[in-house]
This record gives sequence, C-alpha cells and structure tokens, in this order.
Amino acid sequence: MKRRAPAGGRPGAAAGRVVVRALRREPSRLLRLACWSVAETLPALSGGYAIARAVDDGFAAGRPGAGLMWLAVLAVAWAVAAVAARQVLLLIAGIVEPFRDDLLRRVVTGALRAGRGGDSAAVARMNHQVELARDAFGAIITAVRTFVFTVAGVAAGLTTLAPEVVPLVLTPVALGLGLFLLSLPALARRQREFIVADERTAAAVAAMAGGLRDVTACGGEARVAASVGREVSRQARAARALARVTASRTLSLAVGAWLPVVLLLAGAPWLVRQGVTGGVILGSLTYVMQSLSPALGGLVQGLGVSGVRLAVTLERILHAPGPPVPHGDREPGGVRLELRGVRFAYGTPGRKAPEPVIDGLDLDVPEGDHLAVVGPSGIGKSTLAALVAGLLTPDDGEVLVGGVPAARVHPAARALIPQEAYVFPATLADNLTYLAPGTPPERVDEAVAAFGLAELAQRTAGGPLDPAELSAGERQLVALARTYLSPARLVVLDEATCHLDPAAEARAEAAFAARGGTVIVVAHRISSALRARRVLVMDGTRVLLGTHEEMAASSPLYADLVGHWEGPGRLPAGAVAQDADVTADGGPQPAALGGDLDRLDA
Amino acid sequence: MSSRPADLLIARAVRRGGPWLAALTATALLGAAADLMLPAALGRAVDAVVRIQARDGAGPEAGSGLTGPLTTAALLVALVVACDALGVLAAGVSGARAAQWLRSRVVAHTLSVGAGMTRHFTAGEIVTRAGVNVEEAGRTPEAVVTAATLIIPAAGSVVALALIDPWLAVTLVAGLLLIVAVLRAFMRRTTAASGGYQQAQGEIAAMLVGALAGARTITAAGTEDLEAARVLAPLPRLRAHGLALWRLQARAGVQAAVVIPLLEIAVLAVGGLRLSAGGLTVGELLAAARYVVLGAGLGSALGYAARIARARSAALRLEQLFAVPPPAYGDRPLPPGPGTLELRDVTVRADGVRLLSGVSLVVPGGTCTAVVGRSGSGKSSLAAVAGRLVDPERGTVLLDGVPLREIGHEPLRRAVGYAFERPALFGDTLGEAVAFGLAARDDAGKRSEDTVRSVDAARSEDAVRAAAGAARADAFIRRLPLGYATPAGEAPMSGGEIQRVGLARAFAQAGRLLILDDAMSSLDTVTERQVGRALTGSLSDRTRLVVAHRVTTAAQADQVVWLDNGRVRATGTHERLWDDPGYRAVFRAEEAS
Repeated sequence: MKRRAPAGGRPGAAAGRVVVRALRREPSRLLRLACWSVAETLPALSGGYAIARAVDDGFAAGRPGAGLMWLAVLAVAWAVAAVAARQVLLLIAGIVEPFRDDLLRRVVTGALRAGRGGDSAAVARMNHQVELARDAFGAIITAVRTFVFTVAGVAAGLTTLAPEVVPLVLTPVALGLGLFLLSLPALARRQREFIVADERTAAAVAAMAGGLRDVTACGGEARVAASVGREVSRQARAARALARVTASRTLSLAVGAWLPVVLLLAGAPWLVRQGVTGGVILGSLTYVMQSLSPALGGLVQGLGVSGVRLAVTLERILHAPGPPVPHGDREPGGVRLELRGVRFAYGTPGRKAPEPVIDGLDLDVPEGDHLAVVGPSGIGKSTLAALVAGLLTPDDGEVLVGGVPAARVHPAARALIPQEAYVFPATLADNLTYLAPGTPPERVDEAVAAFGLAELAQRTAGGPLDPAELSAGERQLVALARTYLSPARLVVLDEATCHLDPAAEARAEAAFAARGGTVIVVAHRISSALRARRVLVMDGTRVLLGTHEEMAASSPLYADLVGHWEGPGRLPAGAVAQDADVTADGGPQPAALGGDLDRLDA
Repeated sequence: MSSRPADLLIARAVRRGGPWLAALTATALLGAAADLMLPAALGRAVDAVVRIQARDGAGPEAGSGLTGPLTTAALLVALVVACDALGVLAAGVSGARAAQWLRSRVVAHTLSVGAGMTRHFTAGEIVTRAGVNVEEAGRTPEAVVTAATLIIPAAGSVVALALIDPWLAVTLVAGLLLIVAVLRAFMRRTTAASGGYQQAQGEIAAMLVGALAGARTITAAGTEDLEAARVLAPLPRLRAHGLALWRLQARAGVQAAVVIPLLEIAVLAVGGLRLSAGGLTVGELLAAARYVVLGAGLGSALGYAARIARARSAALRLEQLFAVPPPAYGDRPLPPGPGTLELRDVTVRADGVRLLSGVSLVVPGGTCTAVVGRSGSGKSSLAAVAGRLVDPERGTVLLDGVPLREIGHEPLRRAVGYAFERPALFGDTLGEAVAFGLAARDDAGKRSEDTVRSVDAARSEDAVRAAAGAARADAFIRRLPLGYATPAGEAPMSGGEIQRVGLARAFAQAGRLLILDDAMSSLDTVTERQVGRALTGSLSDRTRLVVAHRVTTAAQADQVVWLDNGRVRATGTHERLWDDPGYRAVFRAEEAS
C-alpha cells in the first residue's frame, strides 16, 4: 500500500514525501482499509470456488438444490463486498481529502510566503492542479489496492480449488506485471511530454489570441503562425508517441490477463489427467476473467496514467512559488537608517543583470527624519524602498536599521506601504488593526478621522468591506491608516498616495509627520518633497541628498520638476493644475511644457 | 445552422489520418467479432474437456479431441489482443493527425483574420476552439468506432443470451435499465453537491488572488501565515462538500456494482437448473455468464453516442470560426512619399453601433496630429482604420494617395507602426519583442547568405537599440538579468515598462506612419516628456497620429482632431481650440476618470 507515484523524468523527492505523509497520516485508517478490502475481495476469493462447486456438486451432479445453495453463498459474498466497497471508498476519501487540504495549504502559504504578486492568475490555476492531483491520488490508491487484494484473493481461492492451476495463472500475471513495470518509465516519460506539450500549445494559442491586434499591426502573422505551429507539431508528435507506448502497454496487459486463459485451456488435458474437473476449469477461468483481468487493467491504467499525472502536478504545485522571503526577528536599537555602499542588480545569484539598479549608495537617515525620494519611474526608488523594508538584500554593502541588517529586523519595527494598497474582505476596524491587534477603538476612530475615512466607515456601518467596491483612493487611505496605527517607527510610503487628491495626500503625510518616527516618502508628486525635511534625488546616474532649496540649486532634474510645478509656462490658463505628477498618470497634469529635458541624459 | 459543414469538416480532418483510419476500423470490427465469439469458443473448449473426462476418465489419450476447440479459442484470444493493441495505436495516431490539422487551420485562419477576429470571438473562445473543440472533433472517428465496438458485442450478447434462454435476456435488459436509473439519480445529486464544492473552491481562489495583490504589504508586515489562515478559512467547508461527494459516489457505485454480479448469479441459477435438466452444457453455462458481462457494456456504448454528438457540435463551433472572412491585401507597393494620411468619409460600425460616422481628415506627411475626445468618442476606432487594423464599412483611407486596401501586406506593415495602451509582446526575448515589427529576416523562405544575414542582424539590432532608446526602454532592459536576451515572460515589467517596449517596437517598425493609441498613459511625467521629445526629434520625419488624454500631448501636436460621438467636431491647433469651453471640458472629464 505504500507504493508511491512513479515519478517520471526527474523524480521529485518532495512529491514523494508528500504522498508518503498522506498515506502515513492515520495508520489505523490503513488497517481498517485493509480489513474492508479483504471483505471486498470475498467474491474474488470465493467466486470461482462457489461456481465450481455449484456445477460439480450441484447442477452437473443432478442436485440443483445444492447448486442453488452455492450460488446463494456467492450472492451473499457479493452483498458483503458491496458494503465493504462503500466503506473502502469512504476510507480512501479520508486519505485523499486531507491530502487535498495539505496541497491547498501548501499552494496558499507558498504563494504568500514567496512574496511576489507576479502572475496571480497562474497561482489561481494551481487550484485546478490541486484537484487533478487529488483525483489522480484517489485513482492510484484504488487501483493498487484493488490489484493487491484481488491477486491475494484469487491465489487463495485457486489454491483451495486446485493447487495445480495456481502456477498456470499466477506466472503469466507476474510476467505481465513485470513487463508493465519495465515499460512504465518510458510510458511515464511520454505521458509527461504529452502533458507538457499540451500545456505549451494552449499557452501559445492563448498568447496569440490575446495579441491578435498586435500581430496584425506588426504584420507578424507568418512568424506567429510558425512559432505556434511548432508547438502544435510538437504536441502532435507527443500524442503519437504516447499512442505507441500505450499500444505496447496493451500488450503487457494481454500477457497478464489473457495468457492465463490460454494456458488453462492448453493445459486442460494435463489438468484432467491430474483429476481436475470441468467445473474446476470453469471456476479457474472465472477467477481469471472476472477478477484478475479487470484488476490488472485498473492497475495499468492507474499507474500509467494517474500516476504520471500525479507526479507532474505535484511537481508543479511544490516547485511553483519559489523560495519564501525570510523574516528577521531582531529588535533594532532605534530606527536610524544607514546604507553603506549598497549595490543591487536584479536576477538570481550567478545570473545577475550586468547593470545594477542601485550602485554604491550611501545614505544616513537619523531617527525622526522625514525624507522624500524623487526621480523618474524605473530609476530604482521602489528597489530602495524594498531594500529598506528588508524585502530585498543588497548584493554589496549593507542596509542597517538601528544597527541591524534590514532583512533581519523584526517586521513589526518598520512598515512599507506600496502603491497597490491591500484591503481584505473584513470589517474596516479589522483592516485598520491588522498590524496592531488589540488597538483600542478610540485610537481606531482617531485614525479614521485623521485620514478622512469617516464616510467609508459610515457607508459600511461595521460590516465587511468588499475590496472591489472601494475606490483606489479609499483603499490607499485604509492602508495608510493601518500603518499609522502600527507600532512601526520606520515607515516607508512607496507612492502610497498616488490615487489620492493633493489635499488628502497632504493630510496623510501631515498625520505621519505628527505621529513621530522616521518617514520615508517615495514621492508621487513634487509637493511631497516640499513637505519633507530632506530630499533624495535619483536621476539614474547619481543620487543627491539635501533640503529642497539645496536640491533646486544642485539637481537639474529636480529644478526642472520644481520649475514645472511653480511656473505656468506657455499653456493657456485653465489647463494649469495645482500640482505636478512626478510619476504616474491619473492626477493633475504638469502645467508647463518647456524645460530642457535632455539634461537628464547627462 | 445546418450541421452539414461540420460533418464535412470532420470528414476532411479524418482523411488526414490516412491509412490509420482504415486500420482503426478494421481492427475495431475484427476485435468486436472476436470478442463476441470468444465466450462461445471457450465454452466449447471446456465442454470438450468435460466430454473427454466423462468418456475415458484420465486416460493417456485424454487430449485427442481437444486440439480443435483449444486452437480456436487461443487464436481468438490472440486476435482480440492484437486488435486491441493495434486499435489503440490507430486511434491515437489518427486522432493526433486530425487534431494537428484542425488546430493548424484554426491558428492559420485566426491569424489571417487578425484583429477583426476579436469582434466575433473573445480570446477565451478562440483558445477553447483551438483546444478542447479540436480534440473533440479530432476524436470523432475513435468515438464512432469505439461505440460500434461496444454496441456490437453488447447487442450481440443480448441476442446470444436470448438464444440460450429468452428469460435470461429479459433479466439482463431489466438489470441494465436499473443501472441507468441509478446513474441518472447520481448525476442529479452530484451536480448539487459539486456546486457547493466549487463554491468553496472559488472563494479560496478569489481570496488568494486578493491577498497576492497585496503581496508587498503582506511580506513587509510578515503576516503571511495570518493571511494563509484567512484565505484557507473555507477549507473545512470544502472538505465537508468533498466528503459528501464521496458518499454519494460510494452509494451509487455500490448500487451499480452489485447489480451486474447479481444479474450474473441469476443467469447462472437459471442456467444451472437447465443444466440439471440436461438442457444446457457446462460450457454453455460459462458462455451465458460471459455474455451477461459483455451485455452490461451496452450502458457505456450509450455514453459514446453522447460523445459523437459532442464531436459534431465541436466541429460546428470550428466551422463558425472558419466562416469569418480574412481581409484581402492588395499587391501595390507604396510610392515614395512623406507618409500623408487621408481619411475620406470613413464610417466604422461594430455590432450595429456606429463608432465613426463620415470622418474626413488629412494628416500631412511628417506632421503630428493629436486625436482627442471623451471616452467612447471613437478615438481608438480612428486609430484602427488609419493603419488598417480594421476596414471601414464605408469610405476610404489612403496613405500617400494609395488606398490601404490596395497596398500589399509587407509594404503596408513596414510603413505603419502601432503602439497601444496595453501592448501584447511576441518573440522569445525582449530584443525580439522590440524587433517584432521589423521585416522578418527569413521571410518568404528567402535564404540569404550567412554574411548578408549577419549584416542584416547587426542592422536590425542597431534599429532595436535606437528605438528602445527613443522609447526610454533601453535603460531598464539593460538592467534585467540578461538584458535584451531576457525572455519576455521572465522580465518583471510594470505597466509603464511594457508600454515603453511597445513604443520601441512601433518606433522600430514605422517606415512612414506612426500611430499611438493611448500608448503613454502609464508613463510617468518625466518619461512621457522624454518620449515626447523623441517624437518631435528623431522621429519627426514620420507622420504621427497620437490618441491622447493629456493636455500636454495635444499642445505639442501640429494639429488636433477633436472627436465627439464618432464625428469630427473640430480640427485645428490646440491653442485655437482651447478657447472653446467644450474642448477644455474634454480634458477635465478625461482626467477625472
């Protein structure tokens, strides 16, 4: 019963562990499963014998009463087996359902711990993979169990009936099973290649269907047809190869299932000389054709198809999310932030981008400082925020919070609010006390008032929030107020106010400034820089730090941005907005068009 | 719609299977016949054994009368096995060939229709047609043949049983009806239970997607386990529904499983009594028992009838897709020219709704025209007809005096470049994604010399770098792990970065006309103005048509086309139009949304 899924190709050791754990979870359940399985094989055990007796001692011997009695015994055996089959199925359910729960738990925690939003649709598709794995696991348990108990039952029954027959039946069964197991690796490989080719084709077609407009616009019909066509041909090749190994699998099945029949008949003269009767031969044939063949067929199908399916899906589920982001547990001494010669490039170790996002950055932010980070998008501002929050570790140099490397600082000591505000379907109060459970209601009310959430609080009236129904601005307000209530003394706002109007943004930043602790704002509007005590300007080649006035004097980029904010330019009145976006769309527009932007290239 | 085209399509696909289809049919029929004859042959062999035993006990000559029946049975067994293996192979290979042919046709036709296809089918519908529907239609021959191979022995068994004793056949049919009724009831109850299961599943998936959207918040706060517990809250409910499903399955399975053995016992009992009375031999009894099992296969044969029906409706869905006509390209080259675009009385309609009504305008070569208007005013439709992504219902679009319909595919696509709000990127790497709009190096199978190719490659690489630089994509691409060789699927790009790659692709492609359909909406202000400078600088020799929401873009253009409800409301410079309060309101509405 401990037979594991045959892992095709590179066997996933993790997959094997998951399966073994699922089987070992409740040993007593396995015992009960074995007991009911014995009851279920009662017809297999007694079927041939009862029929042989019914014919030889009953009907053929002119005693129909005895014959009917033997058939009644068989009917009772079948009834018992039916009850047992029900119990068996429920016991298997008891193994398979926790297995599914376990996988689902892994998918969810794995995806959350890996920490990157990434392709959330792909993660959602994992649900489907879990269902496939669950069905395949159930099918394998059923097939293996049925086969083992049927063979045991038939062997016992045949031994009672006529020991001479046993080798004629069991030798070819063993031979067929051996042939099948020998062909299993090849079959598994083909099956897995087919699954992979099928998915790749589906992905290629989906990409094509989703980008038809772009294909037409670029005149790339022939190229896309060729690349999708390659996947289609590969899939067809895989399907043909699978058909070939499946056909040869049928042959090993034939050896196990049909050779006993031929041997029984061919050996009949010899058996008759041994005193074996026609009824016994009839009974033996019944054992083979009624019990053994279906069980062997089920095993071949179960291992050859479901087994490979299980191995492939398990590998997907267990390897999908990537490594978890580790969390620190050290309490820093204060939240003074120090960056020393920090260098960071994207990529995995050994495959790093040739050009780093951040290189040789030194920065000192004393406790209680209010710093604004300014620069065009993609320049590394969010990377800097992630380094400070400990979500990324520098390739070189160090990021220290209160003297402790940022990645090893306890998460509660600092908070990061990203642009994409997170609101979950629970009450507003639950959302706000997420980082500080047990916050007294008056403090929550205070935060609600400070961030202008009173209207939302009234609208939801203590009921659960539906994140989809909140505006992007409201979601950001919830995230801001939540962090406001958190114990964190170092707060990083990574464009966390981009969906707010300038007044709400000013109010939020003022609330954080009054709250105490260090505030680092990755600026969405240049006004954020004006409210900050100091400004960090990132322009791609170098990093400058100073007050607003110093920056306006020393950074052409900054001067340019501030100039746009201050001067009306050549646009007619009316188009002039109060504020200029530094980063994304959606807010008021820059008021002027002039300015020598080529300076940024310097 | 008649299903005749669907049948024709299936027939054509099936012919792709070549000799394999004949092999499938032959093996299936032969195998079915052997299946049907085997129980009788086995019965005769057993009878021969019994006869010998009765005649001379266990004498030395015991085997003499056995050879004939034994050989027959053994040959039939061999035939069944061979037909089975060959049938599996033939079904697999012919199905794979038919599916490959159908799928390639779906892909080729979808691509030749191009952007217009999305008016008839969503992307998901196209994927379903190229996936499940193709498989179902491709397996039609297998379904037909399998149904036949199941029906022949099953129906034949009932007949054979009736020949042995009519009452046995009656009992069998009654039992089969019972099984069908049980399965029906099971289906109904399963649908109810699986509804609850899928509901719980869906809740978990939705909450996981929601939590992943806040992944940065969660990771920064270290609350992954808290979140996992919240997402998995419906798990106990999922398990309860799952176990309910198992219980239903257990009950139905047991009911169905016990019927066939009991049927067989009933047949054996009746047959046994006839045996006692001398009306039946032991071998005939064996045969009767086997025929009960074969006859019970009638139920699954009926299942195949449903599969055939599904295959036909799948073929019908494919035929609907093939019925969408692809646009015809002309064969005229483009004469030398500055890229002057002209629309004459152009009307575009989709699903009966007028998107553009009688639009006429001229964009002089080498100038920049901004298209503005509230959302739904027809800006994107104008951009789509201007480069022939769609054909107008009425009116003509000309590029340097040649109607777009008359220009050949290659000259047209190398002359016009498009950038979109949400570009879909093609090509294995980011470099290829940017070069996707350039002429394919090996187009039309023209195999040039290696040296020429490498010169071409270097030239296109330069074009890619230059375009990426102008679109401000160069810097961030070079910071990716493999730079331009980074696989497009592995590059973590924001919406603004994807837009920049899309812009670079259009810049590299556009020979004389560049159409930007809201292609800079996700760029930050600094980058937008940098790209804007490229548009007025290094790209100023191309004609530019820019759909815009921002005041700045309109103000930079040589001319502004103001669309309102599918019509041109006014044309002129931004400064002149700005006096109109209605024009100013367009930008306020756009910015508020």
